[in-house]
Amino acid sequence: MISLLAVPVLVGLALCLVSDRLARSLRPGWAVPLLTALALSVALCTGIALSVAAVLVGVQLGPLPRIGQWSVRSLRSGMGFPDFVGLLAMALVLVLLASALVRGVRTARDLIRASRAARGLHPAGGELAFVDDAAPVAYSVLGFPGRIVVSAAMLAALSADERRVLLAHEASHLRNRHQLYFGLTRLAAAANPLLRPVVGAVSRAVERAADEDAAAVVGDRGLAARALTRAALARAAHPGSLAPAAALGATEGGAAVMVDRVRSLLAPPVHYRQLPVLLVLLAGVASWTAAVVLAAWGDGVVEVAEAVYARH
Amino acid sequence: MARSRPRPRGSLEAEVLACLAAAGGGLTAAEVQADLGADLAYTTVMTTLSRLHAKGALDRVAEGRAYRYRLVGGADGARSNMTAHQMLRLLDEQADHAGVLSRFVAELSAEDERVLTRLLGSTAPTSRNGARGRSARERSAE
Repeated sequence: MISLLAVPVLVGLALCLVSDRLARSLRPGWAVPLLTALALSVALCTGIALSVAAVLVGVQLGPLPRIGQWSVRSLRSGMGFPDFVGLLAMALVLVLLASALVRGVRTARDLIRASRAARGLHPAGGELAFVDDAAPVAYSVLGFPGRIVVSAAMLAALSADERRVLLAHEASHLRNRHQLYFGLTRLAAAANPLLRPVVGAVSRAVERAADEDAAAVVGDRGLAARALTRAALARAAHPGSLAPAAALGATEGGAAVMVDRVRSLLAPPVHYRQLPVLLVLLAGVASWTAAVVLAAWGDGVVEVAEAVYARH
Repeated sequence: MARSRPRPRGSLEAEVLACLAAAGGGLTAAEVQADLGADLAYTTVMTTLSRLHAKGALDRVAEGRAYRYRLVGGADGARSNMTAHQMLRLLDEQADHAGVLSRFVAELSAEDERVLTRLLGSTAPTSRNGARGRSARERSAE
């Protein structure tokens, strides 16, 4: 029965190998919630399955069998896997849980700090705030309410049409809470290292989703591509705006990310198929089924061990 | 340029604010309309400017028969936002770009810059976009 542990692990392994291709085969707006939900499911289900193995071995340790009043012999025959598997699972669960906790606390702290700092921005109207930065920058930050920040230099680099693209792109990030999805995916990856490639895939999907939303708002994909290109070139031309490349590649899916985004907008609109959506849903359902069945089975094994103890 | 769908109210207000911020000074409704595009009706621009004025986002001074509008905060507002802006940038760097800020564009490598410059050339806009990059003021002065 413990072999059901393989289900979420294999789904995680598959995601590790194909997350980028999978993300590209999904409509960007759907890829963000779908991949985030699947990553969280795989992380949780793997954790649950490992915990079942860890608990079945853990309850045999020291004085626990006497305190809990269950038969060790019944547990050993019921669980059907060697002790070391359970001990390994225990160590793994502790490490992954600690890693997820650290990541979760950091992400929550960063998002809260950002929304607090955003209160210091006085909008010119609505969510939109201007800054007197000589570097061409534009970004959005979640908060209550969120803010879209655009520097004077960025405004100067773009035409009115191109500014519409920028505003629509950032509005899409805010409206769809993209920063939150990205944080959750990072959390899932901290709880399960197999999921690390999903972070890059979601990071790309988030930008692509905002790009396509912006293109839909202005009704012109070529215009959206030009706005992106001009903004990126203006930024590159600004001295001292280059961020350390290492920090960038980790979260923005490699250095060619802008070229990829522009090319995607210049290419004809993609016809997205249903199959990848079904595969994602299927993988999620399979992971949860395995986790629930395993948890119920583990519970049953302990119950039998209690009954056996009571008889003797 | 296909511009079939109407703009939602909020997005038009943001466009007008960005237009005024880009111009750096005051603009009349006609100048805003000239910058934002001919597909916008003059009355739509007027209505948006009045609404923003009513909300306290814009100051206006009478100039002949029209009004000249400017951002209430103006350059001072943009300067006073610098503190929060620097804090956010610092936070984003400390959080190893943890996505607390969703940036419009990422940095480029030298190679990317070359490719994008070429792509921009191949998508060279036609029609009135030749006037891009210049402020509304310059354009309206034509």
